[in-house]
Amino acid sequence: MPAGHGLRSRTRDLFARPFRKKGPTPLSIYLRTYKIGDYVDVKVNGSIHKGMPHKFYHGRTGRVWNVTKRAIGVEVNKQVGNRIIRKRIHVRVEHVQPSRCHEEILQRIKRNDELKAEAKARGEVISTKRQPKGPQTLASW
Amino acid sequence: MVFVKAQKSKAYFKRFQVKYKRRREGKTDYRARIRLINQDKNKYNTPKYRFVVRFTNKDIIAQIVSASIAGDMVLGAAYAHELPHYGLEVGLTNYAAAYCTGLLLARRVLKKLEMDDEYEGNVEATGEDYSVEPAESRRPFRTLLDVGLVRTTTGNRVFGALKGALDGGLDIPHSDKRFAGFSKDSKQLDTEVHRKYIYGGHIAAYMTTLMEDEPEKYQSHFSEYIKKGLEADGLEEMYKKVHSVIRADPTPKKSEKQPPKEHKRYNLKKLTYEERKAKLIERLNALNAAAGADDDEDDD
Repeated sequence: MPAGHGLRSRTRDLFARPFRKKGPTPLSIYLRTYKIGDYVDVKVNGSIHKGMPHKFYHGRTGRVWNVTKRAIGVEVNKQVGNRIIRKRIHVRVEHVQPSRCHEEILQRIKRNDELKAEAKARGEVISTKRQPKGPQTLASW
Repeated sequence: MVFVKAQKSKAYFKRFQVKYKRRREGKTDYRARIRLINQDKNKYNTPKYRFVVRFTNKDIIAQIVSASIAGDMVLGAAYAHELPHYGLEVGLTNYAAAYCTGLLLARRVLKKLEMDDEYEGNVEATGEDYSVEPAESRRPFRTLLDVGLVRTTTGNRVFGALKGALDGGLDIPHSDKRFAGFSKDSKQLDTEVHRKYIYGGHIAAYMTTLMEDEPEKYQSHFSEYIKKGLEADGLEEMYKKVHSVIRADPTPKKSEKQPPKEHKRYNLKKLTYEERKAKLIERLNALNAAAGADDDEDDD
């Protein structure tokens, strides 16, 4: 018999729920709000059969471009041949998690704004740029 | 042989997945809860309120609750044990009391949101199906009925509370199929019967039948009613008065009790290691003494 390349082929382990986490999903998944421009991770919840993305998108991170009643539109990069296409998919909220990839820069923005405001109050000019680690001296070995 | 086979091995426990805590306690139906709480994502942070009605053996709890990740937030609550403040002393878990509790909660919440003048609701309870009409300035307060784990049969008291809240002015999507007095054959709500239930007519009827047929059972069953001097005819009057008092001032009354200075202990205090050792030595001595006494008796 031929191999079969259906929509959910080769997803026996990928879409399986983790050990001892089968059954009902926690309610906090449904209480999260997503705004356009947020970064989200796509992670399939095998127990919710509706609104599942294709297995390619499992583990990808993208930005929200649309919010509907029960689903989120996510823009994900996909390499097709010799180019990368920004693909727009719609995924139900159960298969989406807020991504922490953007968290660090958002915190840094906030802190830098505070530092700049303080410096302005003092009348100084400061640079909030990150500096790369320079060559190490013998003392630091 | 029987015992060995029934053992639960270590592997069984390692692989056992417990259900959610409130499912183990049998208190929450998560399938229903997901559907009640789920808010459209394109409504973002707009709260979705549920009108929660729960019955205990001696009380009725009605709450307006919205869900959040930190926990459910209660907007307003009304209990049947508050009804004595409004003039209802007995029968605190019947259909009429459920109606009063729902009405109390609705008026309380509307007052809190300063919508109580716009949305009077149905002042005269007639038992027919009443839905709030939108007023000019603000849309009515919308909430969804949450019955919990109750079997929703026709005439259930949760629908009494629902009717109370509807007449109080809340906007709750419903149908009259489960109100007391709905007839399956004619597929219509008999408003007279429903009105009877709201004013305790079914209780009054039972009281009169018992008084005629079994006066002793009447004395034992309705002893509290007799003590308060309530007759079968006076029930409707009483409930009408309670409704008007509720509408006049639905704000909760603060109780005058001070919290007790010393915290009462409800469970046994845990003993320290020395105390437990001492207890054991005492028990062993007692056993030995008793055994010694038995030996003496046997010798004799």
